[in-house]
Order: sequence, then C-alpha cells, then structure tokens
Amino acid sequence: MSKRASISPRARPPWTVRVVVPTASLIAAAVVGGLVISMSGNDAFEAYRTILDSSFNGVRPLTRTMTLATPLILTGLAAAIAFRMKVWNIGGEGQLYMGAVVASGLALAIPSDIPKPLMIAAIVLGGAAAGAVWAGLAAIPKAYFNADEVITTLMLNFVALSFMNYLIFGSTSFWKDPKSSFPQGLRIPESATMPRMSYRLHYGIIIAVVAAVLLWWVLRRTTYGFEVRAVSDSKEASRYAGMRVNSKLISVLAISGALAGIAGAIEVSGVVKRLDPTVLASELGFTGIVVAAVARFNCLGVIPVAVLLAGLVVSGSSLQRLGIPPEIVFLLQGLIFLFVAAGEFFLANKVTIASTVPVQPAGNGGLANE
Amino acid sequence: MNDTVLVLSVVSAIAAGTPILFAALGEIMTERSGVMNLGVDGMMLIGAVTGFWVGVETESAVLALLAGGLAGTLLSLVHAVLAVSLRVNQVISGLALVIVGGGLSAYWGNLGGTAADGSADQALVQTKNGVSIDPIFPEVLQDLPVIGPIVFGHDLVIYFSWALVGAVGYLLYRTQFGLSLRAVGEDPGAADAAGLSVSRYRYVCTLVGGFGAGLGGSYLSVGVIGTWAAGLTAGAGWIAVALVILSGWRPWAALLAAYVFGALRSLGFTLQISGIEVASEFLAMIPFVATYLVVIVVSANPARARKIAGPAALGEPYSREAR
Repeated sequence: MSKRASISPRARPPWTVRVVVPTASLIAAAVVGGLVISMSGNDAFEAYRTILDSSFNGVRPLTRTMTLATPLILTGLAAAIAFRMKVWNIGGEGQLYMGAVVASGLALAIPSDIPKPLMIAAIVLGGAAAGAVWAGLAAIPKAYFNADEVITTLMLNFVALSFMNYLIFGSTSFWKDPKSSFPQGLRIPESATMPRMSYRLHYGIIIAVVAAVLLWWVLRRTTYGFEVRAVSDSKEASRYAGMRVNSKLISVLAISGALAGIAGAIEVSGVVKRLDPTVLASELGFTGIVVAAVARFNCLGVIPVAVLLAGLVVSGSSLQRLGIPPEIVFLLQGLIFLFVAAGEFFLANKVTIASTVPVQPAGNGGLANE
Repeated sequence: MNDTVLVLSVVSAIAAGTPILFAALGEIMTERSGVMNLGVDGMMLIGAVTGFWVGVETESAVLALLAGGLAGTLLSLVHAVLAVSLRVNQVISGLALVIVGGGLSAYWGNLGGTAADGSADQALVQTKNGVSIDPIFPEVLQDLPVIGPIVFGHDLVIYFSWALVGAVGYLLYRTQFGLSLRAVGEDPGAADAAGLSVSRYRYVCTLVGGFGAGLGGSYLSVGVIGTWAAGLTAGAGWIAVALVILSGWRPWAALLAAYVFGALRSLGFTLQISGIEVASEFLAMIPFVATYLVVIVVSANPARARKIAGPAALGEPYSREAR
C-alpha cells in the first residue's frame, strides 16, 4: 500500500491554516538561518537573542526600528496594492529615488521661511507626484501595448539610480553642495525637516500608518477598491461589466509609485536631510516587496511586517560586534521571503496524504462461481 | 581615438561582457522552457563567492569555475521547486533568490572578517590571492597588431563562451531536445498532450540557467576582477535578464548584446583617455533605456516583431488540473 499526496485547489483556506502556514514559514526560515549560523561556527541562539534585544528591547532600539519601518511601510504598501492587482511593479526602488530627487529639489527651491507644515506638505506631495510619474512610464505602455511591467519598472530603477548619481557625482547640479570638498548633496533647510518624536524617530511614521489604514479602507469599502479587486480577478469580466480596465491599471500603478515616492520624500526630510544617493540606495524599494509578500498583500498586515523586517535590518551592527557578519540579516530576510512564498502553495491548495486503496478488479466475480 | 585605445576598449568590452554572456545564455535556456528566473543576480553572486573560494583553496581555475556553476545550480533548484512544483509566482520566487543569494554570499564572504576589534583582515575569502586564468595563445600571435589582442589575446574561458553560443543555438534549433523545450515554453498544454513532461523540461532548463549564472559569476570574480567583494556583480545579473529580452531569446544576438553592454561598462574609461567628456552616469543608463524602449516597441508591434517576442507561456506556472 503506497502513500500518495493528493492536491486540490481551494478558494479560501480555513483560519487555522491561515495561522499555521505563515507561522510554519517563519519557523522554517529561522531554523534554516540558524543552521547556516551554526555551521559557520557562530552561536545561533545568541544571534537571535541579539537581534531581538538590539531592535525591540527598550525605547531607543524601538525608535531605531520604527524609523526604518517608516519607509518600509510605504514601499510595502506600494508593492502590496500593485501586486494585489497582479501588476508586478518591481520599480519601487526607482520611484523612491525620483521621489527623493524631487522632494529635495523642492526643499531647496522653495523659500525656506514659509511655515513648516506647508513646506513639508509641498515636498511630500512633490515626492508622490514624482513617484507616480515614474511609475506612469511603465503604466502607460502596459495599459496600451501590454508591455511587460516587470521589465520596464526594473529598467527604470537603474535609470533613476544613474540620474540621482549624476546629480551629485557627475555634475554641479542644483542639488549639490558647491562648498563641500567631496561630492555631496546640499543640506535642506530646517523648515523642510520632519519634526522628531523621540530620539531619531520622526513624524513620518504617522504618515505611513495613516496611508496604510486609508489604503486598506479604500480597497475594502469603496467602489474604486471593489473595481480594483474585480479587475485583478478577471480583466475580461470587468471589461464586460463596464469597468474601465486601463484607467484602473494606470491609477493603481500611479498610486503605487506615489507611495514609493512619498517614502523617498520622507527619507530625505526625516533622516538623510539631503540628496545622498549612497544612503538612499539601500534597497528600501526591494525590501518593500518582501514586506508586501510576507503580509500577503494586506495593507494593514504591511505595518507589523515592516516593523519586523526593519528590526532585523537594524540589528546588523550589533551582530557585527559579536563577530557575526551583519549580512546574515539579509539572508534571514531572503529566507523569510522564500518560505512565505512556498507557503502560498499550501494556502492555495489542500494537500492530503492518503494511502491509496488497491482497486478491486472489476467484474462479476460472484456470478462466475456459480 | 587612436588604434591602441580602440583595441583596448574592444578587449575590455569582451572581458566585461563574458560573465553577462554566460548568465544570459543560461537564462535563455530557462526562459525558452517558459520559466522566468529573475534571480540571476543572486545566482551570480553565489557563483562568484564559491568560485573564488574554491580557486583559492584548490589553485585550480577549472575547479573554481565548475564550483561556481554548481553553486548557481543549487540555488536555481530552489527556484525550480517553487516555480515549477509549487507553482509559486515566478516574479516573487526570483526576487527571493536575489535576496537569498546576495545575503548568503555576503555573509559567507565576510565570515571571520569581523573580528571583535573591527579588523577585517581575517576574512575567509577576501584576503587570499585567487588563481589567475592566463591567455592560451603564444605571445607571437598575441603581439600581432589589432587582431592579436582581439582574436588571440583571451583566456580559454572566452573561447569556450564562443563555442557555448554555438552549442546553445544548435541545441535549441537543431535537436529534438531543443524543439521539445521550446514547445514546453510556447504551449505547455499541447506539449503535455504530446507526451512531454513539462515539469522535467522546466526543471532541467532552470538548473542549466543556474549553472550559466553561477559560471558567469565565478568567471567575474576569478577571471575578470580577480577578487571577491560583497555585491561584486553590481547589477550584472539584472543586465543579463535585460539582455535576454534585447537578444530576442537568441544566443547569437546575446553574444553581440553582451559585448555592447560590456563596452558601455568600460566606455566611460575609454572616452576619458580619448578626451571626450560624457558623464559616466548617462553611459550607464544606455543599456537600461534601450531595453525599456525595445520592450515597448516589441509589445506595440506584435505582428512585425514576432521574431523577437518571448516564449508565449513565459512566467506562467503549468498545472494540468487547471486546464
């Protein structure tokens, strides 16, 4: 008698499965990560204790974690709304850069004596517009020619990175500090910097959380959100029902780009204080995709996942003091991503291991005996 | 621009293009079978660190390159399981590979290099000298003007890559295996009905793609740069992904495109010694802008550009039950 796995698709898994599968994914990632740490001669338990300690234990570690979580919530939302509609916006990275470029440009161009709230509103909106336009460069070819957005958004990332580098390292642009002996961005005026709450944590976190709640509400409770979900389920059916599929697609990518652009603007205003390509190019956009995937593209879920992954990244320097290469945090992040992705299969399909019963030979055995 | 500069820039374009060429040839195989693996950069990085380390330990360039290829293959196995067996979204799975490959290679390469006193000179991989790969033709031939450096000046790996371009082309277009794998990439349902095992072809092609990327990565660290550093590829894996599209999934075009990309990577330097002022950032943009435009042009004219359009079932998981 042999055992055989039978696989059958299901629409919505029971809540027990929805709890067990992601938990199992996280545990699997921690176990594999722990094995890598142990096999390379370090103490895995000590590493995990350090990660928790240095990012969540105490006010100061928590503020550091929340400061990094701020852009990750926004880039996570950017990926979540796009991926949810099955639009694969891999361009959060570039949209963030363009948001940062325009936001820092506005901060330097607008007279610095205007009221702070006005200034911050201007640069955040400017960042959003820049991100939306940059995403539009992929959205419009996608809507009208069905040009693969995975590739176009990806290519635009590199273009944006080169452009940002050019402004600081390749030219004497408006963004560059003319007095500095090494190439760096001009510091933005005091009125353009995000006020702080505690230690380095700034009010950007409020913007990020409000954006998450707002987006969740829009997707759940409005006609627009309903149509977006309908288009993601079936383009054809939605078109037949009279929905404007192309404008939905463009608007979703524009919102996605705007969120990443806001992340760039807030990083400039709250953390970096100038256009600094090396600091800004720290994969915040890519990490946002991980955040969204682990949160299963749920806008509210993005908040705790962003905090978790930010905590992981923040702990890198403490691990280094233990003699453990800090790059382990990226490996752990990748493993979480991988196992959560694998878990999707077990959420979407019911897998049962059943013993196969030998099939009785067909025929009228009883009659033959007579 | 005088002759020496021109020759030098062709030579450096070929060297810089070869790692990308290996990765792109592998990805062409993978994508032709209908699997999109965006994890090329991660596989190249794993290949680069493994190859460099094996080169240091064994002092054999052949073993170094093989080990790099095998490391890439191992990582691509993860993608095969996720994308083919578990039918996970291939974009997600590929991106996960990039992060895992980048993280693991940087971690491994930095082991022992972060002593408590902050000194980085005990790192497992960085500090030692790697093996070198020398040109194979006698110096008499190498010293010929112009054609010497361009035709005879390379190491064996570059000649191997030329042979490989022909081999992949032959495999794809002239063999039963190639016909079958292209069928699997164009219409897995029909291929399945014709008795081909869709998942077997896709597994094999994904692993071959991983080997190509790993080999490219190890040639980059061992042959071109001669050292290992975290993030060594500087996005070369993404360039390989772009190049597959630019080449229209054809090996010969990939060879040309790889050298053009290689030239662009070293063009800033070339222009500088020729006294021409162009910001290197704009040169760096060209391949990406070109790919962006090509994708749009191809999508806009599907009929005219069918010759360079991708496999029809690219990126779609195949499930017999869901037909």
